[in-house]
Amino acid sequence: MFLANPSNMRLILFFSALAGAAWCLETFAGDQVLRVKASSEEEINKLQLLETLEHLQLDFWRRPSNPELPVDIRVPFPSLQAVKVFLESHHIEYSILLEDLQVLIEEEKQEMINNQRRERGTSNFNYGAYHPLDSIYAALDDLAAEYPSLVSKQTIGESYEKRPMYILKFSTGGTNRPAIWLDAGIHSREWVTQATALWTAKKIASEYGSNPSITSLLNRMDIFLLVVTNPDGYAFTHTNNRMWRKTRSKISGSLCVGVDPNRNWDAGFGGPGASTNPCSESYHGPSANSEVEVKNVVNFIKSHGKIQAFLTLHSYSQLLLFPFGYKCTNPADYNELDAVGKAAASALASLHGTTYKVGTICSTIYQASGGSIDWSYDYGIKYSFAFELRDTGRYGFLLPASQIIPTAEETWLGLLKIMEHVRDNQ
Amino acid sequence: MQRQSEARLGPLLLLLLLPLAWGKGPSPPRAAEELQVSNRLAGQAARVALHYLNYRLGSPSALRALGQVRKATLKTIPGIGHKYYLQFTTEDYKSSLNVGTCLATVFYLKRKPRPAVNINCTYTKDQKQIREDDYSFYKKMRQQTKPIIGNDIPDSYGNIEPALEPAWALAVAGSSYLMWEKSTENLGYFMAQVKNVKQWITKDDSIDFDYSVVLHEIPTQEMISCHLRVIWTPGHPLKVKYFCLSENQWSESEEGSGTESGSTNGIFNEKEAHF
Repeated sequence: MFLANPSNMRLILFFSALAGAAWCLETFAGDQVLRVKASSEEEINKLQLLETLEHLQLDFWRRPSNPELPVDIRVPFPSLQAVKVFLESHHIEYSILLEDLQVLIEEEKQEMINNQRRERGTSNFNYGAYHPLDSIYAALDDLAAEYPSLVSKQTIGESYEKRPMYILKFSTGGTNRPAIWLDAGIHSREWVTQATALWTAKKIASEYGSNPSITSLLNRMDIFLLVVTNPDGYAFTHTNNRMWRKTRSKISGSLCVGVDPNRNWDAGFGGPGASTNPCSESYHGPSANSEVEVKNVVNFIKSHGKIQAFLTLHSYSQLLLFPFGYKCTNPADYNELDAVGKAAASALASLHGTTYKVGTICSTIYQASGGSIDWSYDYGIKYSFAFELRDTGRYGFLLPASQIIPTAEETWLGLLKIMEHVRDNQ
Repeated sequence: MQRQSEARLGPLLLLLLLPLAWGKGPSPPRAAEELQVSNRLAGQAARVALHYLNYRLGSPSALRALGQVRKATLKTIPGIGHKYYLQFTTEDYKSSLNVGTCLATVFYLKRKPRPAVNINCTYTKDQKQIREDDYSFYKKMRQQTKPIIGNDIPDSYGNIEPALEPAWALAVAGSSYLMWEKSTENLGYFMAQVKNVKQWITKDDSIDFDYSVVLHEIPTQEMISCHLRVIWTPGHPLKVKYFCLSENQWSESEEGSGTESGSTNGIFNEKEAHF
């Protein structure tokens, strides 16, 4: 029994195309596929008669056999009118299944090319280089296409300049499982963070099933990854100013553009360590969550409801930080966070010897209000950590691309340590 | 001429005076507070000390970066300022290899514009090699008939063209002067990028570079644009003039050795001397 499922259809198309090529029919432009419903044996006989008319060059995809089953015929354009007149004059019911075969073949060809590209895509992508926004977004698509049972791409909203904010969801199933959040690139000039996040996505996707840690983690929890938290800023670092840090929002009453997205969260907002000057790199913005990029993340976290860890990547300085930044007092979970942080830093250092300092934001880096991990911690997400990745100032933001993969590899070990602790302490 | 011979005798004299200097050297005074080695102000002070060292050494091949802070003490002198006593390891700026330990005091004075630094370090890098590298850069620059020019060093992707690397290192040395001067207890600097370099061909035996640099200021996160003029002869103090966009006049380094604001006591080539 011939079943007209999509793969069979494709085969048919393919063979038709081959056949067409063989008979020097270079195009199927205007050809249609008609679905004919014979309602009686008599009508079946008429259709079988049609079959014998070779000059019509009809191509029966489903041959007339009994009235229960539809008959599908590819009718070449020159014969279309004749066939339709025949069917109508004999009151044989039909419908147009495919309106223009050539269009379909073109689409098919393109899809095959796309599929081929996708299949090579993530193995061709150079994770050890810095990429513009479009390439990163294409890589996200490639990952979702290559690992469809594990990875899906979602949008959590748009940036100020209407760029989509895409997250990758890593999930092996369940409904609304407890999850880990990881974001990068909130400060656009910190290029090693977006690059590290992308490498990490590939790492997780490709090693689920073979790496016991990743596998056990994803069997219980989901991971959400936001590779480019500040896409407008990131685009700007490519087109205009490599050192751009903030968002690109217009500020009323000022000629200066942009808000420091990591001073814009609702945690000690407007306090010490953030500027009231719109022209400043650490301008906190007119109000908490005024930046749509921040608001989108907050909304996602709140509506998900089961985020257990909030991890964010920055550069540079080689630090592993936990709350608080807006106040210089220790969080209630200081001992645990410090212990986890130290274990993570130790794991990180084990690979290439890169040393990280661990501590609260205020004591380790500087007092800064309105930061993301302070918000997430006060919101109830205990495991809130910020990484400041390589280096310690030689290259700073301009970290050579040759250091991307070593940075990503060592950072992964630190991230994994934290995630395993979260998994084991739910 | 006289200055040259002073420069040569200088280090030898200082070496002889070292035991004396020791007496006045880093010893934790009374009301002193021991700081955690991860304390950011301690790290910041150590960096200031290294800016000063890198400027005073005036050698693109001998630049150092901060390794790890090993010990830090803070003394508050009411009405005068804060004095940091530091011990830290250092790395070669280019290779990141450990090149020795330093002891330093960094005195942030309320009344003076820039921190007063005393620093002495061990040095595990071969002094002869350093002098040779410096001299080979100097010679190459002296032999230029067409002035060296360049943009964006490193570029957006972190690349530094090998031919421009010594000019970049000289910019780091020159910027060190500027960063030392601008640093306060709470404001620190890194040289983020050389936007522009242009050599001036000179008639004397110095090499002369014009730079536009971008400094990264912590904790404000501001990127400060500065114009830098560096004039150098190996073995002589760097001559630096700078003008930053937030300022309204040129600032200039003093010529000659021995300034009031600090001293470098005894830079000697010895492996890991014990303090």
